[in-house]
Amino acid sequence: MNGGSEGCLENPFGLAPAEVEAKAREIRKKIILMNSHAGQGHTGADLSETDILATLFFNVMHYTPDQPDDPYRDRFILSKGHGVGGMYCTFAEAGIISPALLDTYLQFDSPLPGHPVRQKTPFVEINTGALGHGLSVGVGLALSAVMRNRDFRVFVLLGDGEMQEGSNWEALMSAAHFKLGNLVAIVDRNTLQLADRTETIMALEPLAEKLTAFGFDTVEVDGNDPRKLISMFNAIDPHATRPHAVIARTIKGKGVSFIEDQPAWHHKIPVGDQVRQAIEELE
Amino acid sequence: MTTSSETRDLREAAVDALVKGVEKDLDIVVLVSDSTSTASIGPFKERFPRRLVNVGIAEQNLLGIAAGLSRGGFIAVTANAACFLVSRSCEQLKTDVCYSDTNVKLLGLNAGVAYGPLASTHHAINDIAVMRSMGNILIFAPCDAVEAFGAVTAALSHVGPVYVRLDNAKLPVFHAPDYRFSPGAVDLLAPGADVMIFAMGSVVQEAMNAREMLSQEGVSAGVANVSSLRPVDRNEIVRLARSSGAVITVEEHSLCGGLGSLVSETLAECGAGVKIVRLGFPEGEFAKCGPRSEIRKHYGIDSDGIRRSALRMSEKKGTPCRET
Repeated sequence: MNGGSEGCLENPFGLAPAEVEAKAREIRKKIILMNSHAGQGHTGADLSETDILATLFFNVMHYTPDQPDDPYRDRFILSKGHGVGGMYCTFAEAGIISPALLDTYLQFDSPLPGHPVRQKTPFVEINTGALGHGLSVGVGLALSAVMRNRDFRVFVLLGDGEMQEGSNWEALMSAAHFKLGNLVAIVDRNTLQLADRTETIMALEPLAEKLTAFGFDTVEVDGNDPRKLISMFNAIDPHATRPHAVIARTIKGKGVSFIEDQPAWHHKIPVGDQVRQAIEELE
Repeated sequence: MTTSSETRDLREAAVDALVKGVEKDLDIVVLVSDSTSTASIGPFKERFPRRLVNVGIAEQNLLGIAAGLSRGGFIAVTANAACFLVSRSCEQLKTDVCYSDTNVKLLGLNAGVAYGPLASTHHAINDIAVMRSMGNILIFAPCDAVEAFGAVTAALSHVGPVYVRLDNAKLPVFHAPDYRFSPGAVDLLAPGADVMIFAMGSVVQEAMNAREMLSQEGVSAGVANVSSLRPVDRNEIVRLARSSGAVITVEEHSLCGGLGSLVSETLAECGAGVKIVRLGFPEGEFAKCGPRSEIRKHYGIDSDGIRRSALRMSEKKGTPCRET
């Protein structure tokens, strides 16, 4: 590890809400173009999480784009690893990876595989793709900060369907037990999973009450509104004795009218005129 | 090899290696899943209470947190019963530890049929097979306390995942105190001209006892302790097998994916043409339950069972195919 930058790390962009919104539009355009070029991808999930990612990487998180090993950096874990397309496009927009790499998405032995791989992509803290793993790893990272007396925060982005995995509830229990105020679990609550609505497949509600009962300080927020996300994240106290849960109410496929809230678009790809229409809507 | 009658618990040696590691400034955190007593971790906890994390009865979370702690800069060491480690947390083992190549050391306690009477939920007879099926992980199975100390010390100095198969029995000490465990080495404990017995972990003592009995019956059996299954010196396996012309493998493990598989694959691939008999739990079966000694006797992996196999082999040595 390098010397790091204790106490002086900030968000490298510090963008205002309107600027974050503009970044989110650029990221969404990249998602549409990248997925249509690759011919595969999880378009609905990528678009659902975009505003959360743009808010974290362009306003909230403390890091330096060319120093992915800085021990004092805030950590981000994409526990819903299938949302990797949205993450790559955010990373390209933030200068963490070269935008040219987006053309290699999903190709043979690509530097950008279909789920996050830490050996290949900077700022990927752990390999994900199987659901129900990221939060436990986030607990371990947050615990390491406490044990080493470091000030970094750990943000874990979970899918709402992913909350059906039992391992998440082991992780939630332990985060509260270890009093990890530096841990923020964000649930991308778009109410859809692969096959259908979460509440049809295996109901999660009342989710906020469950998270609160597990010892989390829980807030609900419009997860597609960077303005609200920014003020919510900045109100979080990392020195609190309770870990934080954010239920980010989102629309799967947000930003493109014919993709929004359509179960079929979980891993469907825009083709032909759909690409042109999507980009027009995002302009 | 020493012929001391001393017996020692492998776990105590492993814990001693962890204590010595912290004393040498290794930034170690030990994680247990309510398995404080299983791990005999007391001496470590007394010395370094803040370096012990108990996650409760939650083996999936155990490995996830370990991976996270290692990404935060610690050497994370998990210590729980091997049966739960390889089964309950198999996907965390695959994804958070092996695939993510995190600096996590896994101590598989009371492996094999150490929990004999507690039956198959508590047996770990596929741990080596599971580990061998994973990328990035080194696999050690020490046979005595001296080697357990060495294996855990080697695990701590390697950056990346390591599995160490351990036992709760007091086992005879075959190695001198100055023995250096070397990852990859095949440890020839005793030479032999008629048959070479490759053994792993807690049944090395059975092989050594069998060797003693066989020598009185005019059969010269060698014993090779395979305590490092990955990496492993395959050339040395072939050399030892050829030197005697007949091979027996012994393991308290399934015949599918363990030591017997490793040796067979190695010999077959180089066309060694050496007769081999694999002793262990038959493929496709759970092991019977009961006192450990009786389980070993039933499957012929006790000293007498190994002796009988060796006698049969030495009679038939030179015939082209295996008696079943």
